Amino acid sequence: MSWLSRLNPRGPGSRSGRSAAPSSPCTADPETCLMVFENHWRQVSWVLEQQEPSSSSDDLTAVRNHTDQMLCLLAEERPAESPEGVADVAPMGPILELVVTENILESLVQWHLRRGLDPDSQGALLKLFEMLIGQSQQPLLQHTAVHHPLLRLLGACADPELGCPLALENSLVLLLNQICVSMARQPVVLEMLFRAAPAQQGSTNLLIFSLLVPFIHRDGAIGQQARDALLLVMAASASHESVARYISENSYFCPVLATGLSALYSSLPRKIEVRGDDWHALRREDWMGVSSLVLFMNSLEFCNAVVQVAHPLVRSQLLDYLHNGFLVPVMGPALHKSSVDEMIASTAYLDLFLRSVSETSLLKTFLRFILLHRHDNDTILDTLLTRISSNSRLCMVSLSLFRTLLSLNCEDVMLQLILRYLLPCTHVMLSQRRAIRETDLYGKSADKFLSLIPECCRLNPATSAERDEDNALWAKVFSLYFHPTASSGGGSGGGGSSTPTSMEPPQSGPSSSRPLSPESPMHQQQTNTECLDWDSGYLDYLKDSRRGIEFCSWACRDWSAPYDGENPSPNTAPPPPPPPTANPSMAMYPEHFSLQQGGSSNTPPGQQRAAIVAAARSEWSSSERDSGEWDVTIGKNNCISLTPRSKKRSLQREELLPKPIPQLVPSSSSSAPPLLTSHPASSPAPHNPTSTVTVSYQAMYNGTSGQGDGCSDNRDRGLEVKKVKRDLGEPQYLDENANQNGSLVSCSPQSCTALPQTIFSNSEMSDAKSLCPNQISSPSPVTQPTSDTKLLTGDTSNPHNASSDLVESNQTQQSVESLIKELLEQAPGEPQLPGDSNGQGISIEAFTQELRELEDRVKERSRAAVLQEDTPGDSVSSERPEEEPSSGLEVKLTVDPKVEGPVVGLCSPARPLNQPASQPYTGPFMVVLFAKLENMLQNSLYVNILLTGIVAQLACYPQPLLRSFLLNTNMVFQPSVKSLIQVLGSVKNRIEAFAASHEDFPAMLRKAQQYLVARGKVDWTDSPAAVPTLRRSDSLVKSRKPSLGEMILRHTNSPTRARHAAQLALAHVRDGSQSLHSALFRGGGGGGASGLEKQAEALRVKNAVYCAVIFCEFLKELAALAQEHAVTLPFPQGQETEE
Amino acid sequence: MNLNPFWSMSANTSRKRADGEEHSGHVEQRSSPARLPFGKKQLPPIPKNAAPITKPVSMGTPTQSANGTHASYGPFYLEYSLLAEFTLVIKQKLPGIYVQPSYKSALMWFGVIFIRHGLYQDGVFKFTVYIPDNYPDGECPKLVFDIPVFHPLVDPVSGELDVRRAFTKWRRNHNHIWQVLMYARTIFYKINTTEPLNPEAAVLYEKDVHLFKSKVVDSVKLCNRHLFDQPKIDDPYAISFSPWNPAVHEEVKDRMFTCKRRPDDHHKGAHVSGLSWVKPGSTQPFSKDDGPPPS
Repeated sequence: MSWLSRLNPRGPGSRSGRSAAPSSPCTADPETCLMVFENHWRQVSWVLEQQEPSSSSDDLTAVRNHTDQMLCLLAEERPAESPEGVADVAPMGPILELVVTENILESLVQWHLRRGLDPDSQGALLKLFEMLIGQSQQPLLQHTAVHHPLLRLLGACADPELGCPLALENSLVLLLNQICVSMARQPVVLEMLFRAAPAQQGSTNLLIFSLLVPFIHRDGAIGQQARDALLLVMAASASHESVARYISENSYFCPVLATGLSALYSSLPRKIEVRGDDWHALRREDWMGVSSLVLFMNSLEFCNAVVQVAHPLVRSQLLDYLHNGFLVPVMGPALHKSSVDEMIASTAYLDLFLRSVSETSLLKTFLRFILLHRHDNDTILDTLLTRISSNSRLCMVSLSLFRTLLSLNCEDVMLQLILRYLLPCTHVMLSQRRAIRETDLYGKSADKFLSLIPECCRLNPATSAERDEDNALWAKVFSLYFHPTASSGGGSGGGGSSTPTSMEPPQSGPSSSRPLSPESPMHQQQTNTECLDWDSGYLDYLKDSRRGIEFCSWACRDWSAPYDGENPSPNTAPPPPPPPTANPSMAMYPEHFSLQQGGSSNTPPGQQRAAIVAAARSEWSSSERDSGEWDVTIGKNNCISLTPRSKKRSLQREELLPKPIPQLVPSSSSSAPPLLTSHPASSPAPHNPTSTVTVSYQAMYNGTSGQGDGCSDNRDRGLEVKKVKRDLGEPQYLDENANQNGSLVSCSPQSCTALPQTIFSNSEMSDAKSLCPNQISSPSPVTQPTSDTKLLTGDTSNPHNASSDLVESNQTQQSVESLIKELLEQAPGEPQLPGDSNGQGISIEAFTQELRELEDRVKERSRAAVLQEDTPGDSVSSERPEEEPSSGLEVKLTVDPKVEGPVVGLCSPARPLNQPASQPYTGPFMVVLFAKLENMLQNSLYVNILLTGIVAQLACYPQPLLRSFLLNTNMVFQPSVKSLIQVLGSVKNRIEAFAASHEDFPAMLRKAQQYLVARGKVDWTDSPAAVPTLRRSDSLVKSRKPSLGEMILRHTNSPTRARHAAQLALAHVRDGSQSLHSALFRGGGGGGASGLEKQAEALRVKNAVYCAVIFCEFLKELAALAQEHAVTLPFPQGQETEE
Repeated sequence: MNLNPFWSMSANTSRKRADGEEHSGHVEQRSSPARLPFGKKQLPPIPKNAAPITKPVSMGTPTQSANGTHASYGPFYLEYSLLAEFTLVIKQKLPGIYVQPSYKSALMWFGVIFIRHGLYQDGVFKFTVYIPDNYPDGECPKLVFDIPVFHPLVDPVSGELDVRRAFTKWRRNHNHIWQVLMYARTIFYKINTTEPLNPEAAVLYEKDVHLFKSKVVDSVKLCNRHLFDQPKIDDPYAISFSPWNPAVHEEVKDRMFTCKRRPDDHHKGAHVSGLSWVKPGSTQPFSKDDGPPPS
């Protein structure tokens, strides 16, 4: 009820300055006052009684002056002493009595109305009444003699002809506000006002209400007052069925409120200017400065408050309107906008809204919308899911949204996201179903997780000797935290009968009744470490895990089922959405594809949306069918897409692709699936990102900080590829791209449908050529390992693969084989295919990223393979538009093989090639998370922090189905189901391979740790400045700090270290990561590489090193979670509801 | 005379049981002032207290790891394994059995068992469980009654229960400490006389049940007479009984009945109450709908 508490009626003191309040003889005794009043009234009534209303201004002035005095006296009058002291029935004071009996106010107002109400007197009357009602010492409104004239006056304001002049709006709203305040004090008034004859209120029953409604969404104080007032009406009417019915049936309150949100939303910035490379969610300080957003949030908060206090009738109507008048028609399309910027913005908004809504039923409305509403046949959830795999800021924003969703501990959300896929238990071997409920009793799983900490990351020299055994680490930790003396008597082995006393340990421990608190010594220990002692801190993780699990299981205590593999029964569980091959969804959207086909870069804007949707859908569908493994395909443009792999397909591929396989790169070194940017076909190339665009893009790219570098590179180099883009480039570059390409760049699961034809679209040859120039230019943080590039170069020969991908994604309905055949035959010449790819591209930003990646890749490629000389970029670009269709395919084909090679190497170890058609499927969410996770080495620090945070959050859930899936490392899954431990294992291998190839890895790792500590510290210190006042403020604050960051932070408690760390971090911020760069990774690049290349390499290295740091912490977190799950007690159901 | 207050207490506990509360750990609360901070969370004290003691175990780790078990679990694992065992005990809600790990070592648990009917009716037997320090890879835990109960399977001198006959080989994942406790309860209801530790009891049971019964009654009386004795092992968490004292116990009792376990920081989120609109038995989101907005 924070809203209501804010509405303290202003005390008399606050209005001292008001002109309407003449100095009054308030201190005089009641009788004197009455005499004065009567005197005034006599003079006024003389004027009033003149039959024909005089138009003389003298009269008016006189009446006004006297009225002022009279009403002041009335306001000041105290109620007469009530003999019984019954407050309710306190008798009227003499003045009021006179006012009532003589109906003075009515006469006054009537007189004004008769003579024609000029704005001036209207305003004066409004102010007078407002003063009267606000300051009166006795209740006035329940007297007909008061509220009738008041309603008459207000009626004049509502009169369509007279209306309320703009200048008077403030007075009007203030008056209404005062009325509502007194109404809140005396609920009777509402009833009386409501029952007052319609004559007084014009056409409406509740004039006050309808007068306020138009101000609901106003900016500034007036809007606030109106909302406050309305809220008071809402609260007062909560128990008045008739009033509530009136509001819902006869007023426009709910529709205005809901559709007003829509209007306000449409004025929100389409693009969110991003400052930091780590930005991923709207914090209060982010939006406080954006007036349109403040306005929206005010209204949303108001909705929330109304839902909270209003009568159920009103509430359900409002929720209804919010769903159908705001979410569906506005939010839905907004989330499906074509440009990445808009997607980012709308996603961030949605996240913000979810975090700001506190009323359960309102939240439910939002969640229903997200989970069930279908926008062009895809649920919002589906759409959001596909974006996690994007390789841009969009990914971070989407992750952030999902973190918010997960934090709700909502059964429905979890059901849709994950549990429904796990319910049938088909992901585990039949024999293992019993194990679903088992917890990690003996620390086996924890041990397994910890064993994945790469050797190269165990820096602590003290423990180096003991590395082999994890327990050595624990022993060390323990010895740090506990008295050595506390030991001794420990074990009486299993031997014969032992007397109790023999087991008694010496009394070394604290003998006080308070249990030892291990924490404190531990923290002291920690604070002494300048860098992080990465072997320690495990107790922190245990504590955090306990807290997280307890919190989560407490929050889930009222769920409908335990989800333990038995309840709900696996047999009765409805089959989850069909996996890949079935792909029924695809069948529903053929038209989209056809639309796409037509459009090359010139796709009309109208089609963009559809194209986007289609792209998203295809991504989704492809992701749906995946079995937990991904195929990576590189589009012509070198854009890479991840495709969930179905066994069938993989087989075919291999058959089809002779070349790629040999080139497999060791999984560790290759960054597996490079981000899946799907390139919108031709469009990207022609449109050059303006410099600004590039900057933003860079910033967004994986959240890496290297943006500046990238830009400069591009410009300076004038690389041909870039050049090409630039020529076309306009400030709107992003948008255009988005429109034309309409491709979802970032969706990973996407099968290559969106093969963008990039710059290199023409042919393989052109590809190669174009690539060369890029070499230089690619400053962008390229995540791909060099190995990939090699692959790429080699692969060019095989175009067919790509085509197959296209086919699959687009037309899954047909049998894959036949499609592929067709494609192979048609591919080269078929214009439509490229069209498809175009349609899919969604975001410009993504596109730019893709370009970058392409460039990087190209450069790497060139480096590796030493391609031929540069071709003039312009020529390539010019050719593109026309050739794209055909060339796009080819290029794509060629590239694909390359990428696939590594992927296969990476992902395949455990998987069998042939899988039954109905493969167990753990759902798009897990699949995309795991894919992203597997790609950790290439992710930016911030993506990884968010990502691991989400997985850890999931691992807190106590439901055995989910817990066993994530944390039980002994569980045997179906071969096609990838387990978390498998994914982590592959990451570990890659980190180790990376470390092995960089001799200064230990030093870099240490510096990265230092930086993270410093960064955490800075974040910590500056957060107080931004104290959010939203209800869920703490969660807001929390949202800034991923848990790992907090963990890291914990270790820096000493003032000096904090200062030092802060300096470090600030320096970093100031220098735009340059300092860190140089500090961390000097000379990262190869010997002969250019500066730009070096930078790109440095970025790659940086991501990898940070990844190593995060990875280790993540493993500890998971291990701790596994252990804590075994010792957490469930909360009984329905124990207690939130206070 | 002492029995009166005592029984009132036991009645309380049983009622509490009936409530389905899981707070068996709380039963002993009154007897150990040290546990007051324990009220909210059930488990925390154990690791904390146990830690100092287990440390010796950690020193022994090398040898442990030498004995070939894969992981050679470090102290963390041992602590948590025992914690997990204790959690299982709580979840089992064994009737009439209460245990509590000692303050000093997670490897030593104090317990008490109430026998509610049968030959040993009204028996209240305190015992101590000793868990081998190479748990779970060692032998089965030992269970020793503070006062040797007259029973064929209880050593008349040491008071040790013959646990191993029930767990010839202790198999991790299959055997749990709660099973030992369950077994300890069972022997008082189902008398087994084969290979007795107390041959006299066995023989009597076979040959002269009446005498056996009277001896049992004597034994039960003896145990109950010593109920208020100081615990045999000096440990803050040892279970000790005292006559019912309303001044002391009433309040604690009330707290036990009203205490609701909540997470430590339940205030941290607004939606702690856990959202669910899933109708029980359904797996459809929002199936529990109450008039949703049409979509």
